[in-house]
Amino acid sequence: MVCEHMFVPSSTPRLQRLAERVRPTAASRTCLLPVLPPIAALLPDGGLRRGTVVRCAGEGAPSLAMAVAAGPSAAGSWCGMVGLDEVGVLAAAGYGLDLDRLVVVHAAPAEWAVAAAVLVDGIDLVVLAPPRYARPAAARTLAARARDRDAVVLVVGERPGFPAELELAVETARWHGLAEGAGRLQSRRVTVVARGRGSAVRPVRQELWLPTATGKVAAA
Amino acid sequence: MTTGGVTTGGVTTGGVTTGGVTRPPDPALPRLLLVECPGLEAPDEDDGGEHLRRFGRVVEALSSVCPWVDAVRPGVCTLPIKGPTRYFGTEEAVVAQVAETVAAALDLNGGVPDGDVRLGVAEGVFAAVLAAGTGMVVPAGETGRFLAPWPVDVLGDPELAGVLVRLGLSTLGRFAAVPAADVLARFGASGVRGHRIARGLDGELPGYRVAGMGARVVAALGRALALQDRQPEFWGGASAADERAGEALTALQRRLGTEAVLVPVLEGGRGPADRCRLVPWSPTAAAPEQKTKAQRRKAPKAPSEPPWPGRLPPPAPAQVTAGHRLIEVELVDAAGVPVVVTARGLLTEEPARLSVGGGPWTPVAAWSAPWPVEERWWSRARRRAARLQVLTTDGAARLLVTERGRWRIEAAYD
Repeated sequence: MVCEHMFVPSSTPRLQRLAERVRPTAASRTCLLPVLPPIAALLPDGGLRRGTVVRCAGEGAPSLAMAVAAGPSAAGSWCGMVGLDEVGVLAAAGYGLDLDRLVVVHAAPAEWAVAAAVLVDGIDLVVLAPPRYARPAAARTLAARARDRDAVVLVVGERPGFPAELELAVETARWHGLAEGAGRLQSRRVTVVARGRGSAVRPVRQELWLPTATGKVAAA
Repeated sequence: MTTGGVTTGGVTTGGVTTGGVTRPPDPALPRLLLVECPGLEAPDEDDGGEHLRRFGRVVEALSSVCPWVDAVRPGVCTLPIKGPTRYFGTEEAVVAQVAETVAAALDLNGGVPDGDVRLGVAEGVFAAVLAAGTGMVVPAGETGRFLAPWPVDVLGDPELAGVLVRLGLSTLGRFAAVPAADVLARFGASGVRGHRIARGLDGELPGYRVAGMGARVVAALGRALALQDRQPEFWGGASAADERAGEALTALQRRLGTEAVLVPVLEGGRGPADRCRLVPWSPTAAAPEQKTKAQRRKAPKAPSEPPWPGRLPPPAPAQVTAGHRLIEVELVDAAGVPVVVTARGLLTEEPARLSVGGGPWTPVAAWSAPWPVEERWWSRARRRAARLQVLTTDGAARLLVTERGRWRIEAAYD
């Protein structure tokens, strides 16, 4: 039986794509990181499949990544952030991340791959905003490592060179509460589209409050 | 060097300062009644889960004594003894009740006897396992004295034990007397873990607990149980996840430097950047398992009502820029006149366009009234500052701060 742990990444992208397509999904369904209910509706397995790369893109991608990471974090997984030096920790806490298991790595741009690879060794969830010029080879190496270590990598931002099993893209976003010279930023309503390979071939759309007026994520 | 009977178990120390961060004192470890069924410890692969099912029945029966049964690993579970003691009167009565319950649960399933059942009471899982080995109820607060004479082999690291014995630190009590500051350098990470156990600061060794036991027991029984997978922090033990993470973070600090691997500390402050500080991770300071549930509840988790100047309200921005890296912006009205906040905290003009760092102009869609920065700070610094939320038509929402007519981006609501 082909098992994802036995899968050796090939340097040939086509072979790799093929291998990913034949990977059994039923077996991997047993190793899911739990997510918050509004996020679960977006994921084909209802949770984050270990060993995969998920991309969060579009306006508000950092917030979306935090909301996705909140579930595993609340359930006891460590979460490491690379390339998000200025992450709003208060916002992260608001979405539900456990600050006791959050680590923010301030790596030089050239060191993102090292930082992410070491984190993947020991941490379930790595939120990564790679530099724009990140080499596709380094991205593939990291993806293979995540697969090998049963970790999940959440890539923040459009990074076409990054192989991702699933993309969660904010299509539309609209802030509420702020007017011309009055009010305040209160909540943001977004449409998130999930596109992926395999079980997620059909795009799934979900309306979310990201954040709600109290800084959480909720289905709209 | 002190000999034998050093009492450290359950002792709380004063605030510990690590890397400039003062932590609250370590809480006392929970007092546990540990039930060990040696006959049910066999790996469940061998018998199609039968051992696990039998263990599940024990756990299920025990949940009638106490709803907080914690399945630690196959054949081993604990329950906090404090609550049931209030109900049954004495700890001895609880132990007797539990012994009876376990025996009944195993007898009910007839056939092969599951061997003896061991019970022990002490503070923390580690001490309770040792207590169960000899069927002891360690008196409350005496766990440190109970642990002290045990040989360091019980820490389960033969290499560490060898080193300790060669140095004459052959018992947990002697090891506990070594100053904590010396332990990491001399005995490494495993030494720190063992030392914390010996001092009664940690309740269990990483790796002892088998993750997800509660769920596995439920699955084996095929029915719901009034049982939750206990988070290890309730019991003063490091989970396997924390252990693995600690190793990765230590490795990363070796690669990138101590200052590159940071963990958040929440504190009061004026602006978003002041409210949360990132401090270098340290193997001892960043041990989430040390916090009790009560402490967690007190921790300022959600940014509900931040004590910012002018009470900048939630939701908190997703990106917060550190003081020295604030990016300058230009904010002008429709005629191109720079927008300024007056002494009375009002805008001179209506913002119409925004340019970030000298870049292209983006039309402003909405903006807040300015929040003046705390008055006392103003007068002391002899300057006037205010914050303003600005939403541009490209959907970007930002928190700007203005001082002496300059506007800068303090945070972004990405």
